[in-house]
Amino acid sequence: MNRLLLAIAGMVAVSAALAAQASPPASPRATSGLTAVDGIKVGHHTLTERPTGCTVILVDGDAVGGVSQRGGAPGTRETDLLDPLNMVDKVNAVVLAGGSAFGLEAATGTVKWLEEHNIGWPAGPSRVPIVPGAILFDLGVGGNPKIRPTADCGYKAAAAATSGPVEEGSIGAGAGATVGKFGGPGRSMKAGLGTASIKHPSGLVVAAIVAVNAVGDIIDPSTGKVVAGVRNADNTFADARAILRAGTAMQRPRAGENTTIGLVATNAKLTKAQVTRMALMADDGYARAISPSHTNGDGDTIFSLATGRWDGTADITLVGGLAAEAMADAIVRAATQATGVAGIPAARDLKK
Amino acid sequence: MAGAASLAALVSGAGGACCGSPATETTGKVAAAQSPSSSNRANATLTAVPGIKVGHHTLAGRPTGCTVVLIEAGATAGVDVRGAAPATRDTDVLDPAKMVQQIFGISLSGGSLFGLSTADGVLRFLEEKKVGIAYGGRRIPIVPGASIFDLGVGDASVRPTADCGYRAAQAATDAPVAEGSVGAGAGATLGKFAGLERAMKSGVGSAASAMPDGLIVAALVVANPLGDVIDPATGRVVAGVRASGGSGFADARVLVRSGTPRVVRSGGNSTIGVVATNARLSKAEASYLAQLTDDGYARAIWPIHTIVDGDTVFAIATGTKSGAPDLVALGALAADVMATAVVRAATQATGLPNLPAVRDLRR
Repeated sequence: MNRLLLAIAGMVAVSAALAAQASPPASPRATSGLTAVDGIKVGHHTLTERPTGCTVILVDGDAVGGVSQRGGAPGTRETDLLDPLNMVDKVNAVVLAGGSAFGLEAATGTVKWLEEHNIGWPAGPSRVPIVPGAILFDLGVGGNPKIRPTADCGYKAAAAATSGPVEEGSIGAGAGATVGKFGGPGRSMKAGLGTASIKHPSGLVVAAIVAVNAVGDIIDPSTGKVVAGVRNADNTFADARAILRAGTAMQRPRAGENTTIGLVATNAKLTKAQVTRMALMADDGYARAISPSHTNGDGDTIFSLATGRWDGTADITLVGGLAAEAMADAIVRAATQATGVAGIPAARDLKK
Repeated sequence: MAGAASLAALVSGAGGACCGSPATETTGKVAAAQSPSSSNRANATLTAVPGIKVGHHTLAGRPTGCTVVLIEAGATAGVDVRGAAPATRDTDVLDPAKMVQQIFGISLSGGSLFGLSTADGVLRFLEEKKVGIAYGGRRIPIVPGASIFDLGVGDASVRPTADCGYRAAQAATDAPVAEGSVGAGAGATLGKFAGLERAMKSGVGSAASAMPDGLIVAALVVANPLGDVIDPATGRVVAGVRASGGSGFADARVLVRSGTPRVVRSGGNSTIGVVATNARLSKAEASYLAQLTDDGYARAIWPIHTIVDGDTVFAIATGTKSGAPDLVALGALAADVMATAVVRAATQATGLPNLPAVRDLRR
């Protein structure tokens, strides 16, 4: 514990330049984004006037879906359907959106787009698009809080979805995302949307996408260092872990300010129970890259998709372990790829 | 806190040494005898929370045993079971929707599901002491439990029984908890991705944090994961799969990404633990505390919550500190002390033949 404390003290003393430090070679970084999983498309729509927006993950055909919902203040839809005890085991799209509970409307637009393309669960003469979703709370960021992602946003993001490289940073569901809110709004930082993938030599691919809007700080798990978080007056990091351990005055997380929402996908063939465990294990990536995580001011949620396009035998311990790694990588990228907005600096602004 | 930690290190050094000889059965009063002071200010283990006692009993036949947590005045409790291969008892009663509001003990054991019978002995001990929920002139002690799979270490027919639970309860004190290869952690191992041949010895670890406002959060863990133990402050491996044919660690994170070797399932796993606080919590809040504590597992163990781990966290709130708790701080501190306890389970362990501990590698 002495060593831990010393390490923390050291971290407080050094500047944001640490964020630029390379990871040890023992932990190779991801190379591409969620669309590295064959059959997955991603589209963003950003409402730059506030900013906020939504991000749609479209499945070419369908995929087995699961969810892990562990934060204390969630905003979700169609998550009960993903319970392994329930019948429907296929998902056509997942919608991540800003705009707090209002942003759940974005999924309505994605459902409309899918119906127009005759995609969905076969139910008699019609097809019912299965579109789970989750929102993050960003109404306090930027301009008019009446500007929220609507059905139109979800429709446009679905129409924009491609299998090309995923654009990251202050875009889509991450447009209004911030982190490091223990010291109050004046000391927080801009985060955004990040994505990462891992290609296993066996042919297994596991990838993650995440919109990071946490109460906590972003930590690089390979070094233990803060990447973005509560700032001191001189723009060095205060380190939420140090604030917490010292028991010094801390800003309570306020309702309507937080939540990290994401998705992990794989080309493996998984059952609904296995894909649910994949989501549960991916949540360990939140715990490692966000400190603290899963607070009662965060509605942290992770969806999981398995396309089954790879014929190999999937070991769920391997898939889940890689999902946690890809998710932690994606979270760090959400912080490093963000651009500052409305007077809230991002990690890249502090480096200047 | 730093002073408390170094004292705890001294104390736990003595505790860890208690298991060097598997020929004699031992109970966990060693640390108490070595403790320079009974003051809780020097206690950086689970018993830093007033009202909590811990006792170990370690079997002679092979390294296994049980660790019993007693809360004789009762405590609000919750549980989070996130591993896929759990061995637990009386966890349904901890559901916030169920009636019973208090528990009086927790029995952690080795021996896989056979070890769940240790709780029978704890029940008997507490009934004799007239501890439990009053029911028609009798007392019903509520004692949930969880077990690790350690049957791959030594003679699998030797398992902790009700007798083990009874003796551990008898040995329970509020002195600093003995750590290392003792009690439920006597047969614990870690770093099993390449089989037991390259695994390492683990054990029991404990840590505590005392806040300026009087809030105390403490954790005790029996770390027996498939994965490696990582120091979250540096990202480095503390103990894990040993490099083949050389010194140092293979790093499970690298093994998994590189595709070698395939997951080996010998040995068995599960990390089971307890987080305790003096805060006053509802049953739902205690469940939530258990969930947040699980983040400590995620930070200090890689991978965790796998299909072959039965990872379980119990949370207990004694409620002696009045006032509304700050759930965010409480949950975050709980994850923090649990991660520290996991690291200590690795660093305080004592090796067995062909199963070195961290302290053996340093020599």
